[in-house]
Amino acid sequence: MDIFSLYRRLLAPFVVFSEVRREPARSFAFTLATERKLLVVPRLEAVDSLALRIFELVNADPSLPSIDPPEAYALAFAKHSGLPLLTDNASPKLAAMTLEELRGTMVLDSLDVLKALYPRETLLRVLAEFTEDTGVRFSERRLRELGLA
Amino acid sequence: MLERILREKGLRVDWEAYRRLTSALAEELEWARELRRKEADWSYIESRPEPLRSALEKLVETGDLKLVSRLYSIPLEELNEERIRARIPLVVVSLSESGATHT
Repeated sequence: MDIFSLYRRLLAPFVVFSEVRREPARSFAFTLATERKLLVVPRLEAVDSLALRIFELVNADPSLPSIDPPEAYALAFAKHSGLPLLTDNASPKLAAMTLEELRGTMVLDSLDVLKALYPRETLLRVLAEFTEDTGVRFSERRLRELGLA
Repeated sequence: MLERILREKGLRVDWEAYRRLTSALAEELEWARELRRKEADWSYIESRPEPLRSALEKLVETGDLKLVSRLYSIPLEELNEERIRARIPLVVVSLSESGATHT
């Protein structure tokens, strides 16, 4: 199973794609682009203004996980295009839930994606493997939200 | 103060939801910080040369990979590889207040 059984293709704003600098991640991204599973989207002026406001909202509160300009742009692009944003940072989700201009924007994390990909009976094993491979852990509260703890 | 500044910038924020969610998030972030402190391989972290050692220590405290990458001018992917070797978890947290089960 992979993410392309959920989404035909992924879109990466150029500013996000340009953060992928090292091998083998870069080669993998280019392979996906060649197969048209990954589209690199050029910068859109219409998105810039909202991206700046998101950046200011999140970074004005030092108690929140920071959001950098590429991620703020990606969230604004998600709103602009009506597509979900995939990220494990909590701040974009918080912004989408509190900023009026982002109402209706869907922000999904790794757990949302894995839950959509795998049946419940195999999901806990998959989560354990995912954590082993990536060092990404899910809080008890986050697991409870999806009925997994 | 924060409300006034953001209002002046033209941001329309649901402040009631913002306060509720940031309060829940603060608890989760503290829990995540404790988990990183507990699970990190401190002997590995202390064995690394500067600025990697300080960057990994900062990562344990903040959990913010991109911020630490920028602060210490260490490429993001290199820092992430070091993070995995140092067994510092990246913790995906919840924004819900009680962690109530949704069906």
